[in-house]
Amino acid sequence: MREPPYATVLKPYGEALLKLARERKEIICLGADLTRQTETDIFRDNIGDRFINVGMAEANMIGIAGGLARAGHTVFVNTFGVFCTRRCYDQIAMAVAYPNVNVKIVGFMPGLSSPGGPSHQAIEDVSLMRALPNMTVVDPADAIEISQAVTAVADHPGPVYLRLKRGEIPQIFEDDHRFEMKKAQLVAGNGRGEVCIVAAGMMIAAALAAARTLEDNGVSASVINAPVIKPLDAETVVSAAKQSRLVITAENHTVFGGLGSAVAEALAEAGVGVALRRVGIDDVFAESGSREYLFSRYGLSTQNILEQAWRGLAINRPVPVAPVHETAPGAYAPV
Amino acid sequence: MAERPNEDLRKLAARIRLNATRMVAIQGFGYLGQALSSAEIFAALFGGGFVRPDRDRFILSPGHYVVCLYAVAAETGRLDRAELTSYGMDGALLEAIGTERTPLVDLVCGSLGQGLSGAIGFAIAAHQAQEDRVTYAFLSDGEMEEGQVWEAAMFASHHRHRMGRLVVVIDANNSQVDGSVTSVTTIEPLAEKWKSFGWRVADLDGHDLVALTKALATTSADNQPLVIIARTEILGRMKSIPATVDGHFIKLDPALERAVTAELEAALA
Repeated sequence: MREPPYATVLKPYGEALLKLARERKEIICLGADLTRQTETDIFRDNIGDRFINVGMAEANMIGIAGGLARAGHTVFVNTFGVFCTRRCYDQIAMAVAYPNVNVKIVGFMPGLSSPGGPSHQAIEDVSLMRALPNMTVVDPADAIEISQAVTAVADHPGPVYLRLKRGEIPQIFEDDHRFEMKKAQLVAGNGRGEVCIVAAGMMIAAALAAARTLEDNGVSASVINAPVIKPLDAETVVSAAKQSRLVITAENHTVFGGLGSAVAEALAEAGVGVALRRVGIDDVFAESGSREYLFSRYGLSTQNILEQAWRGLAINRPVPVAPVHETAPGAYAPV
Repeated sequence: MAERPNEDLRKLAARIRLNATRMVAIQGFGYLGQALSSAEIFAALFGGGFVRPDRDRFILSPGHYVVCLYAVAAETGRLDRAELTSYGMDGALLEAIGTERTPLVDLVCGSLGQGLSGAIGFAIAAHQAQEDRVTYAFLSDGEMEEGQVWEAAMFASHHRHRMGRLVVVIDANNSQVDGSVTSVTTIEPLAEKWKSFGWRVADLDGHDLVALTKALATTSADNQPLVIIARTEILGRMKSIPATVDGHFIKLDPALERAVTAELEAALA
């Protein structure tokens, strides 16, 4: 594991998709007037005959993707998360999920990572995609995972929703980290102790920082990285939960229907009576603003995880204060 | 004197109507009007040598028209006639609205307005693979109210050189659930709309087999997509059905079934 502030890279998804598409002629790339923003300018500039800009017409784009996939192609559809989920939900259900075809829907700017306000903030995309039969939902944490996830979702038969941060992507895991479609992973602690934090995507950095602070304050803590939210690796989560006093989920998403809900369902069905706290957006639409401002204001910070740990364990001492990382331009740290 | 239609196609259209009448009679109600209005369209497409089985793509956008597909397939030898007798029944192969289980079709939609987008996907794939496949998409006029149809129409013209040949046939029967299309909203002028979206347009009598087959045979040197606006009547100009019947979802009691069947059998005599 690397340490914050994390170094970042640009366009790990775009580079990985180009590399894979050069090997696999069946891959087609569709976009909706957000080519550079979805890192697919690299694809367009190198394999232009397999890149199509559909324009601002997401419903049509999903329908075209469905037709291409039925004819044998693997189709990567790229736009912002809000536009490729809530805007064209019936099209995804009927043209992609129900026929169970090889369409990989790639949604950028998850949760409150967009400064653009509710129109651009995908806060319920995971819930929507989780609800569809046949749909797999992936929310990778860093550049190491993203590079591997592109091949993994292409290899996976059937539709996938891949949720990606836009812009500078941190390198959190070591180079030998392995992304797996079927397994969640213990990435900090030993899976036994006071607190088990289950996180995905942009909340992994905060979960790791919170676990470190908890350990520094005498509270043993583990972190499980669950990049595949559906189907959730319930076995790994339940196993750690059984050996912990408190489970905290952390997601850059509404707490209704996403990772927190998936973990709650898994624990309840396994009959694990461990206390559960969900860190996430609490049933509100947010506003415009920086990542730092929005994550603090809407409960997605390291401090929020620490507060839930203290409350969940009923500790009477003052809540420890999350470390503040000075970040140079191009570096990344959790809020 | 007007050109007479091919007698085989005229009889095929009558058999489509007859098959559909018998299928809808199983439940006593259903999508008979759609078959009555589009019988000549399906006869021309599948009996006139246009949709080549196992080569060309056929996309049925309005899934409730699937009764027409079954009716014609039983006549062209692509469907066991015995299957027609369980149409719409629990567990049957032939469902009343198309699904992923539906045979004989590359794509069938139930949620309206989505078929043309899927057809475009097939047409792009044909071009990518350099395959000689024509993509036919059947649409209805009511679904022109869905915005996605126009997103797709705009795309198809702009990207025509990245697609194989694309042909759309619209059954313009002026019928939707709440009544006539003209009473619900104004979709006209359809021909001018499609033309302005960059399509070749044939605006014709959808019960005229000569006009239909002539239009289907036309091609474009520039691969401009073709739309045939087939003007039809929801009751298919059947004399035996009172004009007051709701054509979108016909209640077919035994007396009406007998009258319709008698008229169609006379046409086949």
